[in-house]
Amino acid sequence: MLDRRMTQFNILRGAVAIFFALLVAAIFIFLTSESPWESLRYLLIGPLVIVKDGAIAFNTRNMLEVLAGMTPTIFTGLAVCVMFSANQFNLAGEGCVYVGAFVGGLIGVYWNLPPFIHPLVATLIAGIVCSVIMLIPALAKVKLGASEMVTSLMLNYVMLYVSMHFLNFYFADRSRGATMTHSFQDTARVTQIVSGTSKLSWGFIAALIFSVIVWFFMYRTRWGYSIRMIGINQSFALYSGMNVAGMIIVSQMIGGMLSGMGGSFEILGRYNQFLWLNLPGYGWTGITIAILAKNNPAAVPLAAFFLAYLNKGCMLMSTKTHVASEMIDIIQAAIFLFFAAEQFLSGYRQKIVVKTAREELLMQGNADIENGGAENA
Amino acid sequence: MSDTPVVQMLGISKIYPNGIPANQDVNFSVNKGEIHALVGENGAGKSTLMKILFGFEKPTSGTILIDGEEVTFASPMAAIAKGIGMVHQHFMLVPSLTVAENVVLGMAPKKSGMFIDFKEAVRLTEEYAERFHFDVEPNARVADISVGMKQKVEILKALVRGAKVLILDEPTAVLTTQETVELFRQLHELKNQGFTIIFISHKLNEIKELTDRVTIMRRGKAAGTYDTDAVSEQEISRLMVGRDVVLEIEKTPAEPEEVVLRVENLHFVNEWNKRMLNGISFDVRKGEIVGIAGVEGNGQRELVDILFGLISPEKGSVQVNGVNIADKSQRELRNMGVSYVPEDRMTFGIAGTASINENIVSDRIASPAFNKGPLLNMRAIRETSQHLIEDYAILCKSGRQHVNMLSGGNIQKVVVAREFSADPLLIIADQPTRGIDVGATELIRNKLIDLSREGAAVLLVSADLNEVMELSDSLIVLYGGNIVGYFDDGQWDDVMMGEYMLGLKKQSDEEVKRACHA
Amino acid sequence: MLKQLAEWVFQVEFLFVILRITAPILFAALAAVVAEKAAMSNIGLEGTMMLSALFGFLFAYWTQSWLLGVLGAVIVGTLLALMMGFFYLEFKTDIILAGIAVNMLGEGGAIFLLFMFTGLRGNTAILVTPNILIPTIDIPLIKDIPFLGKILSGHCILTYIAFLLVWLIWLLLYRTPLGLNIRAVGESPQAASSVGVSVKRIKYIAIAMSGALAGLGGAFMSMYYSQGWNQGMVAGRGFIALAAQAMGRGEPVGAMLTSLLFGTAHGLSSKVAGLPNVSSFLVSMIPYAVTIMGLFIYAWNRTRKLKKRGIRRLTGV
Repeated sequence: MLDRRMTQFNILRGAVAIFFALLVAAIFIFLTSESPWESLRYLLIGPLVIVKDGAIAFNTRNMLEVLAGMTPTIFTGLAVCVMFSANQFNLAGEGCVYVGAFVGGLIGVYWNLPPFIHPLVATLIAGIVCSVIMLIPALAKVKLGASEMVTSLMLNYVMLYVSMHFLNFYFADRSRGATMTHSFQDTARVTQIVSGTSKLSWGFIAALIFSVIVWFFMYRTRWGYSIRMIGINQSFALYSGMNVAGMIIVSQMIGGMLSGMGGSFEILGRYNQFLWLNLPGYGWTGITIAILAKNNPAAVPLAAFFLAYLNKGCMLMSTKTHVASEMIDIIQAAIFLFFAAEQFLSGYRQKIVVKTAREELLMQGNADIENGGAENA
Repeated sequence: MSDTPVVQMLGISKIYPNGIPANQDVNFSVNKGEIHALVGENGAGKSTLMKILFGFEKPTSGTILIDGEEVTFASPMAAIAKGIGMVHQHFMLVPSLTVAENVVLGMAPKKSGMFIDFKEAVRLTEEYAERFHFDVEPNARVADISVGMKQKVEILKALVRGAKVLILDEPTAVLTTQETVELFRQLHELKNQGFTIIFISHKLNEIKELTDRVTIMRRGKAAGTYDTDAVSEQEISRLMVGRDVVLEIEKTPAEPEEVVLRVENLHFVNEWNKRMLNGISFDVRKGEIVGIAGVEGNGQRELVDILFGLISPEKGSVQVNGVNIADKSQRELRNMGVSYVPEDRMTFGIAGTASINENIVSDRIASPAFNKGPLLNMRAIRETSQHLIEDYAILCKSGRQHVNMLSGGNIQKVVVAREFSADPLLIIADQPTRGIDVGATELIRNKLIDLSREGAAVLLVSADLNEVMELSDSLIVLYGGNIVGYFDDGQWDDVMMGEYMLGLKKQSDEEVKRACHA
Repeated sequence: MLKQLAEWVFQVEFLFVILRITAPILFAALAAVVAEKAAMSNIGLEGTMMLSALFGFLFAYWTQSWLLGVLGAVIVGTLLALMMGFFYLEFKTDIILAGIAVNMLGEGGAIFLLFMFTGLRGNTAILVTPNILIPTIDIPLIKDIPFLGKILSGHCILTYIAFLLVWLIWLLLYRTPLGLNIRAVGESPQAASSVGVSVKRIKYIAIAMSGALAGLGGAFMSMYYSQGWNQGMVAGRGFIALAAQAMGRGEPVGAMLTSLLFGTAHGLSSKVAGLPNVSSFLVSMIPYAVTIMGLFIYAWNRTRKLKKRGIRRLTGV
């Protein structure tokens, strides 16, 4: 009985958290927008419907763009799920997306491979490079006991600047005004699913497939099992004879791999050249997604959709009503704070527990609580 | 003595966030100037009741009256203000601070408006130490002082804060005999000076010796309050458990075979340079249970940690089936057939927010039986778990329930079910029944005997003297990091054990050497 | 090139610059020290610095007073920290996640708020006037000492405050009742609360102080160092500060020494950037790479000591 009530409670709590986050957004909209109701409309339903001459129609183009926007963040979300599940606060996903895109992009420019194979090889190698980079914080954690969090934060900058160095000095297309690589070969592009401007590529399908694969990995293999047990209680995992050090390393390598693949799919699916001159922010969004998904890979696409939707809403709000699109970061921060709040609405939770316990005691009768357990004093 | 009780707790109930009721409608009252015992089995709800009185936990329902006046304690601060002081079972001291700093923590004397007056802090500590004849060194770092001294610092802390009612939570559990004697002398003196003392214990002889009245708790409820002189130890124990304390355990004589665990000349010095193990040697053979008895803190913890590879010995070796286990990982140890029931089950025994199924197979998740290619065989896991849940009578809704939703006894059953079903050559059972209900205790003890008779070597470490005496085929007593006694004739009783455990008696080297079987 | 580097290190101007570069890292490192003493990892320092830098500058612009600007930065830093504290202490949001949230606010939120308040995008260059920047001061007597005078005198007021704070924070932690409480709460919260010290209250105070210190660091960045606010201004200094805290063993003086080390790395990297045939990108990487190396050496040293005592860590290595 308690389990069912707890599930209901958790759903309610998530909904309330999201509501609060949107409320914060609404407050800022009313502070800044000249036409707040219109802004709010664009934010909340803009991506979904189009209002024209009083008639409401489904906004296919916008929705396709929302889906296209999910590709990199599903990957980074999955990456964070795996690393956070092992209790590894590795925040280098951000840098890995960048390096992944760069490496994938370079292979897209310089290698000659048949279509279809080309982007896959590029993405695979991008993923491998990033997983190798993740060995730095992972090995330092395991061998030296250095905090993977601080190392990974520094590593983001190192990855950015090293890539920028190579981009500028070796791979830049000098014929262009801005710093960018030469154009990708046609064989290297990740094919679009729908023609048009939405840029919804097969990378999106790959992201969904990987959600399933990562879910199976986490919940249906012994390695995923070990990773989760390490995250819940590392001492227990060690005591049970699991290879704790090894799995800590593996979890971070998988995190790097997925982030790097996300970057590569993104660049080969939606761009013609590699031209990022700063970290793209997908790594941080991935953290929000993992929090929303409660580290469950199966829930990642849904969480990614939610954020991509809000992001698109913010864009629309920005172009139509001049509310800066960076609003998305404020909403994300608010979601973050409320959603990760374990004790949020804890008073209500405790009431449910007490009520259930009382009912169960009554049912058992006071005389016999032999194994019911008063021994936690 | 005034007529109004100094402390009255009426209809106290406490339900923990995991749904476990620790107190149910408890009434408890203490008169001014008495030493009042609060007794009960581990887990009967004594500590919870006292945490409520000290403002550490909020009661789910019920009222507290101090000197007849209703109070609500939102925090320990409120309780302290009403003259309640508590000395916790696990000391509440900050190791890196000095004794004086700990004593004045939260009420540090100031000079020139904002700085701590360290001299005044030392003076205050010395003043109170002298008034109550406590022998403490104000400038010593708490990390460096003995357990007995730490306890005195705890009591001083309460007194300096104007406590009139002192709660002592199992104060003698960690003390040597002499320290206990001294503590009792000091408690008597405090009583004579008009202080009220609530003494939590489950040592019946201490209660008879020290206290005026006794309240007995059983499974979260108060089972009655009596004048200590008017009840016998047997009566108290019957009220505590609702049946005779001594569990009759049927046991066939052991037929020990070859040596499985060999411990040779083990030394260990802890991080504060205290010598915890001083060259101990013994063997455990296939088919026997070797018990380790001793007051806690005499090297048992370190011995077990070395046996399970958590710390490395300074000197000496441990062999399992002739293989040295130095630098072996836990995984390698398990592959060698070692099972381990940890003392701290919440830290080592379980992953709280994982399911029972997941917890019960944690040591064998990589075995072919549970894997089909790269994937786990969920059905096999479920079936194994279901089988063990039934075999060990684990009370739960289903195998998918989170372990931390279970009661302490059932959590321990999950741990034990896993460890005992791993086909172990050697079982190290560290306090296997601490703090759990009688039913679970009985089950675990019987399983342990069955396993040894089926051919496992068992090393049982327990602070529960009854337990080691009942279960062991031979018995080792640890005192001060040395083996001071080895018994293999089954002819032991608690009086004799007590003398060895408290260091009053010691066997000769030749007698101790019998613990090693060539 | 090494000879060249060695020459720079002992140049008066360079030593002067190092103090200047160190100051903001030092503010943040002290912020990390105070929070960590109360057992909180304040990873939100980066975002706190970004937002307090922005509002410090805006307050200074609105009031045309650098002093009120600094005050505003401190207040904003404190409020952000209190928000982190609120979620962490009341709702049990993981302190690291709360910090990441603050960093998100510092990233996009700062840009949003700048646009909201001024209509500007990305930087405040056009609002800068000299009177809203923090002034520098010459110290009488000291400025006349040869060599040393030129290194130590003529800094911005906040630079002096940063180094003064090392001593003040030490005094606070080791000589005042509040400091005693902070250390007790960080090391053994149960012990503290058993004597009536409110763990929650002390943690609120510690995180607020941490935010205020980061606020000073932010003010230093926008109102002196960069002469105006811009998007990439803090550039990981909040994160470097966390490393400085760890390597400085969590002590104020240690954090100062490690901050100076990172300040020197920063200083050298901008010097090297001026040389021909040197990649400015690789040079920009130096401070972060140095930080990683520093962290590793520190961690390796600590692990070695643990091993000597026979303690095996729980990763099983």
